[in-house]
Amino acid sequence: MNLTRDRVRSIGWVAVLTICGALTMGLTLRVNAVKSQVRLAERQIVSLQRQKTMLETEFETRANQQQLKVLNDVEFGYQAPTAAQYLEGERQLAVFAKPRGPNAPAPIRVASAVEASPPPLSTLLSSVAAKAREIQSSDEPHKPATVAGVAERESTNDGDIDPLSKLERLEDDRE
Amino acid sequence: MTSLTVSSVITSGRVELVNVRQRLLLIAKVRLLWVLCLFALVALTAVFRIALLGLFEPSRASRSLSDVLLPARGEIVDRNGVPLARAFPAYALWYNPQALGDSGSPLVKPPAEVAAALVAIFPDMDEAELTRQLATGRRGYLRRRILPEDANKVHALGEPALEFPRENERYYPQGSMAASVLGFVSADGEGRVGMEQVFDEQLTDPATKGAPAVLSIDTRVQGALEDELHEGMMLSNAKGAAGIVLDVDTGEVLAMASLPSFNPNQIQRSDVPNIFNRVTNQVYELGSTFKPLTVAAAIDAGSITDLSRRFSGAPLRVGRFTIRDSHPIGDTINVPEILIHSSNVGTALIADELGPERLKATMERLGFNRRPEIELPARGFPLWQSGKWARITNMTVSYGHGIAVTPLHLASAYAAMVNGGIWRPATLKKVDPAHVPDGHRVFKAATSARMRQLLRMIVDLGTGKKANAVGYRVGGKTGSAEKPGAGGYRRTSLVSTFAAAFPMDRPRFVIIAMLDEPQGTVATSYQRTAAWNAAPVVGRLVPRIGPLLGVMPDATRDVDLTDLAPLVPGKAEE
Repeated sequence: MNLTRDRVRSIGWVAVLTICGALTMGLTLRVNAVKSQVRLAERQIVSLQRQKTMLETEFETRANQQQLKVLNDVEFGYQAPTAAQYLEGERQLAVFAKPRGPNAPAPIRVASAVEASPPPLSTLLSSVAAKAREIQSSDEPHKPATVAGVAERESTNDGDIDPLSKLERLEDDRE
Repeated sequence: MTSLTVSSVITSGRVELVNVRQRLLLIAKVRLLWVLCLFALVALTAVFRIALLGLFEPSRASRSLSDVLLPARGEIVDRNGVPLARAFPAYALWYNPQALGDSGSPLVKPPAEVAAALVAIFPDMDEAELTRQLATGRRGYLRRRILPEDANKVHALGEPALEFPRENERYYPQGSMAASVLGFVSADGEGRVGMEQVFDEQLTDPATKGAPAVLSIDTRVQGALEDELHEGMMLSNAKGAAGIVLDVDTGEVLAMASLPSFNPNQIQRSDVPNIFNRVTNQVYELGSTFKPLTVAAAIDAGSITDLSRRFSGAPLRVGRFTIRDSHPIGDTINVPEILIHSSNVGTALIADELGPERLKATMERLGFNRRPEIELPARGFPLWQSGKWARITNMTVSYGHGIAVTPLHLASAYAAMVNGGIWRPATLKKVDPAHVPDGHRVFKAATSARMRQLLRMIVDLGTGKKANAVGYRVGGKTGSAEKPGAGGYRRTSLVSTFAAAFPMDRPRFVIIAMLDEPQGTVATSYQRTAAWNAAPVVGRLVPRIGPLLGVMPDATRDVDLTDLAPLVPGKAEE
């Protein structure tokens, strides 16, 4: 076959055209694929959103004020708490504190996050209480805490004080 | 000759050949140019399309998504975002006889059998009527709204003619709660009666319906108010009840109830008369609850400067009328005692000294001469005497007769009386604390402080004792007015009201509880007056809503009553 320059050029053009066509085709297919994926995702979003609304509405309906009232009347009989059941703050709460009785289980210790700048009163309270418990457990691990025991500790060790009295001191300092 | 001829022929033939070749070359070049143009066009189109896809396609897709997710009608939520009304794609039960094709029976089974199966799913449907409807083969709704689980049961019947299309319905998850505030949406999609009508444009405009309309109502408070009012209504065998909880500093309505109520979810079947809102649309003579307003006007105007001054307690004759008290109180009576024992005579004497002009001016500043200020479309016009008031009018208005206003008027007036003296319009829209309306001053701050003491004393020692929720420092005034009937007042038909505010040392909320025609029952010790039926409603309601609204009970705190205590025997002994 006699390949002239013109012929080579035209074959070249055809090849370029074919490649361009193939690339365009590929791109179109790819774009369409992505588009249909997006459409599918959208349909899923709409359907999930509708399901969510449906469930939310069902929940709101089943838990509406009238249903809750009926449920309370039949099952629980809860009443609004009286004034005596409310506490103003930590000080009123501390009034209810009692020394541990004999053979009482060890208090549950809760870890608390230490805040950077001015710690609130509750943090102070818990750290003081934790410190007191720590000392108590390290000093006499098996001896139950009693009023007498606490008084004894206070008299022997000036540095370790009953947490409540320390709390009161802290509050006095603040005032 | 011959050769010459031949040569000329050959020459001319060559020239033609050259011409043909040149022409062909030209054609080829032109065709090549065309092909090139075509290539360029294809390439350009491709580039253009890529640019188009890259630049514009995603935005169009996202717009369509947001369009789809936009509700058919915007939501209405309470102040904490709890939905009170929402567009909800519910199922309807539709009968389509063409589902199986034109020829033959529209149903697989006999109509009677299908009707029986449907009645088994929906027990309130009429079987005979349903059988007739299925047999006629006319398409139409069998039921407007069915539950998804019922739709599944209908599907299990295997009748293609029973279709359940999803339709956008208005749904109220709280049922009949706050129905008079919300209203309903009619079959043509327009909001009616309540805030549905007020917000109609906002809820249907595509630009605004995406965001919910926020009400000032608190669902929990509304639930408690309706519950307690309903209980009060049942205990006293009353015909109806109305109640409102109003924020004294902003004018926001936290709860508003009109009983008996209706269910906006079943508006076709509900009692149409109950759609009427007793709080904003019905005017009542609210009786003794007006006495504190009269006393406040007199203190404010300076006509009472000494609360220990004693007024006569004897029946008062004015023209052909006689004003008397419901029970004998004593020969003379001072201002705190007038309120504690709810003396008509004493209040009338105070109003007489104040004068009709000044009492009328105060009532006008409290908005008693116009419709109540609220967004709701249904607002009642008070029975108000315009022009110059006669002496007897002045006296009867002072204790709440001869003037009829809505319970909402009274709530706004009490808010102004206890909040330091500023009257603000009531609103059902949540108010941004930074944009509280200025309102206008009706009473001086000192008058307001004095009234807080007096209202607290009424609950502590007087007719409002049953409203005294321990620790909440409730103050208020009872009012039991006879309803006007043919030929005068009807002695046995009362409207009993309790207007209260709490906590009195720093008032936050006003509560109005009103019972329409309560009867004397065992639960109310055979009494019809507000002290026995409306006051206990407030006494039970306050401990329920106080903590929710940030009012902590404290039995050790109260209003300072030191300067008034010596004026009242019961208090002086403490």
